[in-house]
Amino acid sequence: MSTQVNTHHEHPDVVGSRNKLGVVLILVADIAFALSVLFVYFYLKQQDVGGMWLPRATESQAATVPANAMGAWYLTLLAGLGLLVNNYGLRGARTKNPTQINLGLGAGALISIVLFVYQIIQMRQVEFTVTWGAYASCYFLITGLSALHFFITAFIGIGNWNRGRLGLYSSDFWHIDIANVWWIWMVVSSLLGAFALSNP
Amino acid sequence: MTTVMNHKSPTASHRPIMERLNVVTAVVLGVAGAVISYYLAQKFLPQNTEGSVMKTRHDQVVLIGMIGWFIGFMTGIGALVGPFRWLMGKDLSHDENMYLAGKDAGIARYFRYTTDHKVVGIQYLVITMVIFGLGGILAMLIRTNLGNPEGGWLHPQAYNAVVGIHGIVMIVGTIIMITGPFGNFIMPIMIGARDMAFPRLNALSFWLIVAAIAPILSSFFLGGITTGWSAYNPLASQAPAGMDGYIMFICIFAISTMVAGANITTTVVRMRAKGMTWTRTPIFIYGTVASVALALPAFPVFFLSQIMSGMDRALGTTFYDTRGGGSGWLYENLFWLMGHPEVYVILIPAVAALMEMAPVFTRRPLFSFKIAVMGIAGICGLSILVWAHHMYMTGWAPLLNAPFMLTTELISIPTGMLFLVLVGTVWRGRLWMTVPTASIFALLLNFMIGGITGIYLSDVPADAALHGSMFVTAHFHYTLMGAGLTGAIAALIFWFPKMTGRMIDKQLSWISFWMVQIGFNVAFMGMFMVGLAGQPRRVEAYAELFTRGNQITTGAAFVIMAGMLVLLWAVIYSWRHGQKAPMNPWQSKTLEWSVPNPVPLENFETLPTVTSDPYGYGKAQS
Amino acid sequence: MSDLQTKKPQWWKSKDVKITAGLWVVFSALIAIIGGEVNARPMGEAASETMANTIHIMKLFTWVSAPVAGLVAAIAVKALMQKMHFGDNPPPEADHQISDSPKATAVWVIVSALLCLFALIFGMVILQKDNNTLLDVHATDIKVTGQQWAWNFDYSDNGNFQSEDLYLPVNKPVHFHVTSLDVVHSFWIVQMGIKVDANPGYLTETAVTPTKIGIYDLRCAELCGLLHAYMQKKVHVVSQQDYNNWVTSHGGTI
Repeated sequence: MSTQVNTHHEHPDVVGSRNKLGVVLILVADIAFALSVLFVYFYLKQQDVGGMWLPRATESQAATVPANAMGAWYLTLLAGLGLLVNNYGLRGARTKNPTQINLGLGAGALISIVLFVYQIIQMRQVEFTVTWGAYASCYFLITGLSALHFFITAFIGIGNWNRGRLGLYSSDFWHIDIANVWWIWMVVSSLLGAFALSNP
Repeated sequence: MTTVMNHKSPTASHRPIMERLNVVTAVVLGVAGAVISYYLAQKFLPQNTEGSVMKTRHDQVVLIGMIGWFIGFMTGIGALVGPFRWLMGKDLSHDENMYLAGKDAGIARYFRYTTDHKVVGIQYLVITMVIFGLGGILAMLIRTNLGNPEGGWLHPQAYNAVVGIHGIVMIVGTIIMITGPFGNFIMPIMIGARDMAFPRLNALSFWLIVAAIAPILSSFFLGGITTGWSAYNPLASQAPAGMDGYIMFICIFAISTMVAGANITTTVVRMRAKGMTWTRTPIFIYGTVASVALALPAFPVFFLSQIMSGMDRALGTTFYDTRGGGSGWLYENLFWLMGHPEVYVILIPAVAALMEMAPVFTRRPLFSFKIAVMGIAGICGLSILVWAHHMYMTGWAPLLNAPFMLTTELISIPTGMLFLVLVGTVWRGRLWMTVPTASIFALLLNFMIGGITGIYLSDVPADAALHGSMFVTAHFHYTLMGAGLTGAIAALIFWFPKMTGRMIDKQLSWISFWMVQIGFNVAFMGMFMVGLAGQPRRVEAYAELFTRGNQITTGAAFVIMAGMLVLLWAVIYSWRHGQKAPMNPWQSKTLEWSVPNPVPLENFETLPTVTSDPYGYGKAQS
Repeated sequence: MSDLQTKKPQWWKSKDVKITAGLWVVFSALIAIIGGEVNARPMGEAASETMANTIHIMKLFTWVSAPVAGLVAAIAVKALMQKMHFGDNPPPEADHQISDSPKATAVWVIVSALLCLFALIFGMVILQKDNNTLLDVHATDIKVTGQQWAWNFDYSDNGNFQSEDLYLPVNKPVHFHVTSLDVVHSFWIVQMGIKVDANPGYLTETAVTPTKIGIYDLRCAELCGLLHAYMQKKVHVVSQQDYNNWVTSHGGTI
């Protein structure tokens, strides 16, 4: 092993664009996953095997009533708000305004936590359980994926807020830029989820 | 953490946690995680209610135990250090990154969360060989059982379990056999980079595979995977708890391929040496990227299908249970949406590796580089549109059979392009006869047989006679083993000098080559015959009429096994005592041969600049 | 390769090309003949027109792909006939630098596309023929139910009786409606070349006209659990008279 010195300290922009591509590629996988979930939902809905997409009432259990899709639309709106505040923080980083960074990223972290909690609350409020036929299964698949997404968003949001607070984004701030890509995907994926749940 | 670390004399008492983690702590924490979560699940999960249809509790306990293993193992190996430090805002310092890269760590770096792509490459090579060893043993169990028509050497349940585990283990082995070892070790040097784009993700992708091995091994003791590797539902929902091991294995493996795919693709797109335009990028790089990039959208679908399978088993959902509005066809669609691209994930890098070797051993340029790239791209593009040819006989959508026949047969056009490139390159070249050279010809033969039998199977009426028979089994062994594995073994022999610093034993590798190729062709010809005559797949006993064909296959399978053992011995022996390799033993013109043996930690003293494509053989004389 | 295609004067007179062309002819013929036989022989005698068509189409595909396979084999063998170099160091680099030949590649791609198109059209024609049987209103309807690990047959056109044996009248179209009670099975009458999965919750269909009296094999072609290997039956194709007798002896009506 040679005692090479680290002569190749790369420019933050290079590192940033590389990281961005990496995240986009991972998003490709996540998008494939989310689209497959939609496929599952609409395939089972269209097949309606044995009329069990939304089972009718039996002696032991009430008829399955689809969950109100408004909750999913509220989540989409909230995710849109998250995107906006993250953007606000990003502009703060561009103009080197630490207060704006803290404010934007802090609000982003807060919104991501709210999103996660609100999604869990919605999942607990529905009047069917996971074993009530194909629609119920799909409902929990979609909302479960959405909850997982918001959990990751919360991780990213809190981390970014903390890093912003520590002043790590004073010179290079591609992390916020990438978080923006993630927020866009959050808006789109909640939109897809809301769209599906509006068509039970 | 922030203190400057002194690697020369690390005193045990002051070492930060990050430096204490290795495979031992990983296994300890993994086992602890499994035991604790298993115990807690046993204690606190509600009992199955009296008379409930779904008996889900056992699957819940098993799955929770496996998740406990997974989390414990990944924590113990140090996968969480990076995310945690990012969250805390304490990014890894340069010294810490160098530590992670395995600087001055000697042999220990192979047992840690090491980020150096060369270490990861060697780790992948070893684990691939372990996987093939396991899958090979299982294959021999299958063939021994099929040595006589009554079967019965293995219990039918055990036989089914062996078939299932052989299948999935070999599929995973062939998926990683080229992009793992060579995509990690060779590829970054070949494009003139110092490391991968995301070194820590690189280590992650490898250690995820290690973490995934425990669930698949545990399935042996949980009743096995009795469904074949395709794990069709609703059969899978009936299967014993070994199925949970399969589900866990696939989920972890899918994350690994996703991480590796994003990493390798980014590396190639962003980190090629100055002057390495797309037309100067070696064809092997194209093959590797095509493979991992194809896996990126394909594997999440598989991932999802298994999550739903797990939910059906553990939570009582009804995605695949027709009594609750589910559909087995849903599973089959999701499975093959991944399943067919996956075949090309395996095949493309193998063919690309041989294309990379062809110019070296014929001492002339690669014939029609552009057609090679077009062929690879065409296969990738079409491969996501052909999945339903696995489902011609399921009856899910008879009207779609004709369109899928079209897309499937179209694939023979880009595949033909790959043939053209190879035969064009060997045409009138002066052959330097080595095992990789011979492998090119072996691939042409095997892939041709695999391809033509594939044309029969792509045709709906012929598929009605052949689907689900041994003919299909023989066909895909011709493509995955005859073409894929042949390419991988050639790649191993070709890059062995760079990876280990020693030449692989010539005589032993020739012996192995002939045993494997002859054994292979005899074995699977026999299998074609019994398939045509009507022997179904995955049976542990068969009619008298198939006896001769099966015995030929079994006999030849033992020849393959012997040949593989010779290769294994050649690898182990040469790795330790082989003749020291010069820097560029094959006189190749790609960049990986321009670095010394052993390859220094950051590959290049100064990053190279590329001025021409790497196939400029014979041009000096013109 | 490129020498085959570029219009250099008298490229075809080159010795390499002549040898390759000769090998091509020989290999193509060998592959066509042997390949066709190797496929057809084990498939045995067809017990239906569907199977006869299948055997025919496989032979045809073999013949069509023989020239391609023959060409690859000819070039490969020609390359192997060249003087080889053994040893630890590379031979001198080749004395030519052909790295592309647009004409050769164009010819190759066009020919493979044509062959592909041919295979497709031919397959479609046969597929259409098979599908027509499905529409035959005079066909005998039989409901097939798979379960772990047995087959059951409902003769709905013959008084709706049930049987564990499958008897079919010769030269009369039969329409199978296939389903399953538990997991996916696959209903496969080997010598008749028909197959369709038996899915729980769904009814799938296939049809065939047996053309020869005899005893044939019904096998399950989809792994269905412990005794998958034993989930097989004999299919009896009998004359109309015998069929009628068999039906009445089981309490059915003609």
